[in-house]
Amino acid sequence: MTTAPVTGPRFTRWVTLVYLAYLAAPIVLLFVGSFGQLWLNTLLPTGFTGRWYAEVAADPSFRRAFVSSLTVAGLVILLCLVVGLPLAYAVFRADRPAVRALARVIYQLPVALPALVLAFGFIRVFSSDQLPWLGSIWLLVAGHLMLGLPYFLQAVVADMQRLNLKLLEMAAESLGANGRQRFFQIVLPSLRHSILAGLIVVAALSIGEFQFSNLVAGFLSRTYPVVLLQAFYGATGFACAATVVLLVLALAASVAGALSTGSAIRPAGAY
Amino acid sequence: MDRAVVALDGLTYRYPGSGAGVADVDLAIRAGEMLVCIGPSGCGKTTLLRLVAGFLRPQAGSVAIAGRDVTGADARSRQCGIVFQSYALFPHMSVRDNVAYPLRVRGVPGAERAARAAKMLDLVDLAALADRLPAALSGGQQQRVALARALVFEPAVLLLDEPLSALDAATRVAMRDEIRRVQRERNIATLLITHDQDEALSLADRIAVMRDGRIVQVGTPQAIYDRPASGFVATFVGRANVLEATVSGPDGVDTPLGTLATLPHGCARGEAVSILIRPERVEPVGEGAAGDNLIVVEIEQDKFFGATRALVAKAGGSRIAIETASRDAVHRVRIPRDAIQFLHGSRNLKEA
Repeated sequence: MTTAPVTGPRFTRWVTLVYLAYLAAPIVLLFVGSFGQLWLNTLLPTGFTGRWYAEVAADPSFRRAFVSSLTVAGLVILLCLVVGLPLAYAVFRADRPAVRALARVIYQLPVALPALVLAFGFIRVFSSDQLPWLGSIWLLVAGHLMLGLPYFLQAVVADMQRLNLKLLEMAAESLGANGRQRFFQIVLPSLRHSILAGLIVVAALSIGEFQFSNLVAGFLSRTYPVVLLQAFYGATGFACAATVVLLVLALAASVAGALSTGSAIRPAGAY
Repeated sequence: MDRAVVALDGLTYRYPGSGAGVADVDLAIRAGEMLVCIGPSGCGKTTLLRLVAGFLRPQAGSVAIAGRDVTGADARSRQCGIVFQSYALFPHMSVRDNVAYPLRVRGVPGAERAARAAKMLDLVDLAALADRLPAALSGGQQQRVALARALVFEPAVLLLDEPLSALDAATRVAMRDEIRRVQRERNIATLLITHDQDEALSLADRIAVMRDGRIVQVGTPQAIYDRPASGFVATFVGRANVLEATVSGPDGVDTPLGTLATLPHGCARGEAVSILIRPERVEPVGEGAAGDNLIVVEIEQDKFFGATRALVAKAGGSRIAIETASRDAVHRVRIPRDAIQFLHGSRNLKEA
């Protein structure tokens, strides 16, 4: 069997372009819409204005949601480091098949356990009299952590295997490093890229998460995407502007991640 | 006799759930000596290194380093400088920081640390690359960084785990000389693990040949090559014709090549023995040649290596490997009496 000889590359290029346009179109339309004065039954909005952004910025529920989202994401990242890193290390060093099996289950969690199911579970457990914590920001943090942790683990454990961390630690030990020195001088710094990459994924997931947050968040702890839904009942321009804010937030996170990864490649002198 | 820097006594380690490991190893590495441990893969030589390094605890026997019993001590306190097969350089540290790391964890002050690292980098000729990251170095350069890092804290022993196996052929020979030079210069007791006989023969002060977790012979390279204890040692170190033979008289044996005249050997008539003939001791001869053990051969394989040719020839009911510098066609060979050695299996294990 042979592929079409000459048309092959050109055809692939066209498919790629069409696909990219398809991906970009909604984002571009959001930007256009957020600056448009009026957008009713036309292909593109008419007039140019910045007032939608001003309105979003002035809206107290959006302001609170913005802060909530950042708070939740920040706490999730922190917990991910505290819980995820030792967990990743345990999975990596595990000799026992039971631990490896458990790790595989954790990896599959996002597929096996959709956010919706997780949310129903949380509601069932935390609406009881014994555990009346529904609406607390900590429940959001816990849920987002469960949803994000598998991605963090995958990134970090894969990096540990790639670096052959076990051997690096053996080398450090033979050179005289104790456990604390090995962890802070060898393990952490050599994993910094994957830790950062994993945390960015977790942060992005947390900031954009809707299904779980919508069901579990209390009125005062609503995250940005949850509040955003309501914007679409109002003016189109306002909805677009509110969405662009979320988009910029996600974009900023990944740019910050890329920049810090870049600067981390050249370590400061260890003397 | 020099004082042993490393003394292994009855060392035994079996991997759980398998028969692999090492069994009952007695070995001493003397001050300044390069001991090369050679054997096929799976013979336990890497296990042996890990037992010395302290990454594994033996089930029986003891390890002493510099006169101190360290059998129960962890790797940190053993004062072993180790060069790993894949170097295990720290990827996030510059060459200088890698080399200075053992001093850093020991709390050596910054200025002294820098000076000692610089001196080691000079020794391995890498001063110009001190600021690079390991990923920006060639394999040979990484190897030299690993060597410098393993020596900078003045360990009692240097352990090298197949240090040259990841390098290309040309670099390997150069690094072999480099390792030998540095080891001599620091005059440090060294255990080098390899499966490469050229490496072992050219580097070692003494060679220990391992098989199935046991040391089968220890001796100088010349002794191992000239007086191998068994057919296994003979074929593993150097090329060899090992033939099953029956003693036919006080100075003769019946072999698949025919009856060969030997030096007086003292074995009983009818006894089954193994004999060794090194390929380079088989001499191609012309038509008019006279003397002992003239054999007509028919060449089956002829490989040209420049300085020598390696031939495989049919002779009698068997085959024989021949190595010669001659460019001529080979129809007859002579096997001198003194080229025929008797292998005594485990009977002749004494160190030469």
